[in-house]
Amino acid sequence: MDLTYTAEDVAFRKQVRTWLEQNMPRQIRTLEERKAWHRRLYEGGYLGMGWPREYGGQGARPMEQAIVADEMARAGAPAPTNGLGLGIVGPTIVVHGTEAQKRRYLKKILTAEEMWCQLYSEPNAGSDLAALRTAAVDKGDHFQINGQKIWTSAGALADWGLLLARTDPAVAKHKGISCFLIDMRQPGVDVRPLKQITGSSEFCEVFMTNARVEKANLIGRLGEGWGIAQTTLGYERGGRALARITTYASQYNQLVAAARRLRRNGRPILDDAVTRQKLGRIWADLEVERYGALRVLTALERGEHPGAGGSLTKLSYSEFEKRFMELAEEILGPYGQLTDGVPPEYRLDVDTAIGDQGTWAYAFLWSRAGTIYAGSSEIQKNVIGERILGLPKETRADRVGGTR
Amino acid sequence: MNFSFSEDQILLRNSVRAALDEECKPAHVRAMAEDPRGYGEAFWGEMAKLGWLGLPLPEEQGGAGLGLVELALVLEEMGRAAYPGPYFASVVLAGLGLGLAGSAAQKEKWLPAIASGRARGTAALLEDSLDWDPAATTATARPSGAGWTLDGVKRFVPWAHVADVALVPARSPEGLSLFLVDPRAAGVTLTPMVGIDLSNRWSEMRLAGVAVPAEALMGPAGGAGRALEALLQRAAVAAAAEMLGAARRCLDMSVGYVKVREQFGQLIGSFQAIRHRCAEMLLEVENSHAAVYYAAWALTAGAEDAAMAASVCKSYVSEAARTVCGDAIQVHGGIGFTWEYDLHLYFKRAKALEPLYGDAAYHRELIVRGQVVHAHT
Repeated sequence: MDLTYTAEDVAFRKQVRTWLEQNMPRQIRTLEERKAWHRRLYEGGYLGMGWPREYGGQGARPMEQAIVADEMARAGAPAPTNGLGLGIVGPTIVVHGTEAQKRRYLKKILTAEEMWCQLYSEPNAGSDLAALRTAAVDKGDHFQINGQKIWTSAGALADWGLLLARTDPAVAKHKGISCFLIDMRQPGVDVRPLKQITGSSEFCEVFMTNARVEKANLIGRLGEGWGIAQTTLGYERGGRALARITTYASQYNQLVAAARRLRRNGRPILDDAVTRQKLGRIWADLEVERYGALRVLTALERGEHPGAGGSLTKLSYSEFEKRFMELAEEILGPYGQLTDGVPPEYRLDVDTAIGDQGTWAYAFLWSRAGTIYAGSSEIQKNVIGERILGLPKETRADRVGGTR
Repeated sequence: MNFSFSEDQILLRNSVRAALDEECKPAHVRAMAEDPRGYGEAFWGEMAKLGWLGLPLPEEQGGAGLGLVELALVLEEMGRAAYPGPYFASVVLAGLGLGLAGSAAQKEKWLPAIASGRARGTAALLEDSLDWDPAATTATARPSGAGWTLDGVKRFVPWAHVADVALVPARSPEGLSLFLVDPRAAGVTLTPMVGIDLSNRWSEMRLAGVAVPAEALMGPAGGAGRALEALLQRAAVAAAAEMLGAARRCLDMSVGYVKVREQFGQLIGSFQAIRHRCAEMLLEVENSHAAVYYAAWALTAGAEDAAMAASVCKSYVSEAARTVCGDAIQVHGGIGFTWEYDLHLYFKRAKALEPLYGDAAYHRELIVRGQVVHAHT
């Protein structure tokens, strides 16, 4: 056990920090500016770091990936675009794609020439994702797609989508699903923005009516889609493990600064014993998340896949983020709810999870998403119970038979 | 960066666990609760032979010279077994305390004796007020001839009734000082304080005009504050390691139970209400593991955030162990509330440690104080 960074890692961190100082844009206003920043990151060797070199990646270690993300968080660097392409679609193609698919798609994800989304959830298939109904019917030379998807991140920008659709309604629901790459720029695909409680629209609804998927764009074999989807959810591979904590720490320090200015009962809130207890607890929780991230990185560096352990990590940080943001709201009072006209002392100067809106209000509202997306906390607890603790499966009405 | 145990560390843990599984079954814990001394001498001798008693002590004084990570591994297993005996008092409080504050002569006298099991030590860190801040000490030390006269009342002194030496903070004219006191010396009165934890023994230690020689003073008179703070940090992490072990035992027992207990014609582990609780318990245990071993490493390595890590560790694990051990009783239902079932041995072990060496509230205040002075970068 040695929790110091190696000399190589320290040197690499310094190199990344210097690069960011020299290359980071001051402000990003348009998608084109963000794409330009994305390409600069790629040219610097900081995107697709874990991907194989022959497809434009860097073949970097997990720790190097974590360091880059961490330094970007520390510098408040804007995120690259094409997040789903980088985080989910690319790794899925690397692992499950054919050679032709890898050659065709991977490089263009890294250069943001082609933007991607993920078409998984449906109105009636959220936590029960395997109940999805979007149908892919074999038409000889292609598949015909009909159905509706929801919670599609960046759907409005996407050129391509990673699609889960049912190819065999006759078998048990987990076994009849296949995974495809679908062209989003075709007449049969209709994308409508979905406005969230944040007021912004990072997500979309996608309606597919007699849409077309070429045979060459099936990922894996027919009926293997569920297994592929299970692994893609684990592809984040700890890449953002440290960066997340660094962002929290930056937010925490800004909260402490605000607590020093704000007063209650005639004295700074920061001198209030109850508030200090709450701040102390959140900091302890935050540090424990950091220690956990170091544990995950250790495992990744040894080539171990976190597997169901990823559920513990996700459950832990997403629930922490809600507690943290609730405390921020308590301390900031109505300042914490401002979406506009925020006095500079109460702005939040960090790149938030998905957008650039630097308000506590946005960060607070967004914290509600973490315990729902990519498997709700309840689903994570089921996974932990069944796959780590080996508890008996519950009796479920849908264990036998086909989809309906 | 490597947050995993070495092969040697894993071997150590396995051998400690194997020995405790053999020598410290629940029946042994229960038997020792009825024993006047409260622990088994034979196993104590065995622990000395295995090198556990000198594990973190310097090799020059008969120790193994290992760090707090290895010590935490042993303590986690002791918590898991609810080991009854003066290991924590002697090795952590007296052993590490002597290492931090003792003179060369004091170390030479006591550390080999502690490492070999010939002597047992403890430390009297609490008084009536329960304030863990060493500066709150009210016991006094008056210069008297070549030595000192000590007066005061210490509470919750672990295993003092079997100790040969106790570290005793007292206020001398120079300020906060630390003394080595023989608990059997004239003027010392020990009164048992019996708590709910069957594997632990506390005493009230009343000091009335206790004469100690000049060489009983540890370090410079008035200069004990830093050493006591350092000892408190180590004791906090060590206690958290035991709590982690107790919590893991409670989790394991719960998971085992819900896989066999049936109600409504089904295994109760299949119910989400139970399964989700068990998943939350595992999360708390794993987070506690990270908190304990990070802090143990940081203190050993002298990392910049070592003091912070100790407070993070104790505040986090105090509440996590409370939750996990409490939830274990809930998951078990009625059987978990019986004396006959062993769960309460571990529940009570964790509970007894929860307020010691700083409770969660004490350490949270230290965290915020550290932050306001020293913003995290």
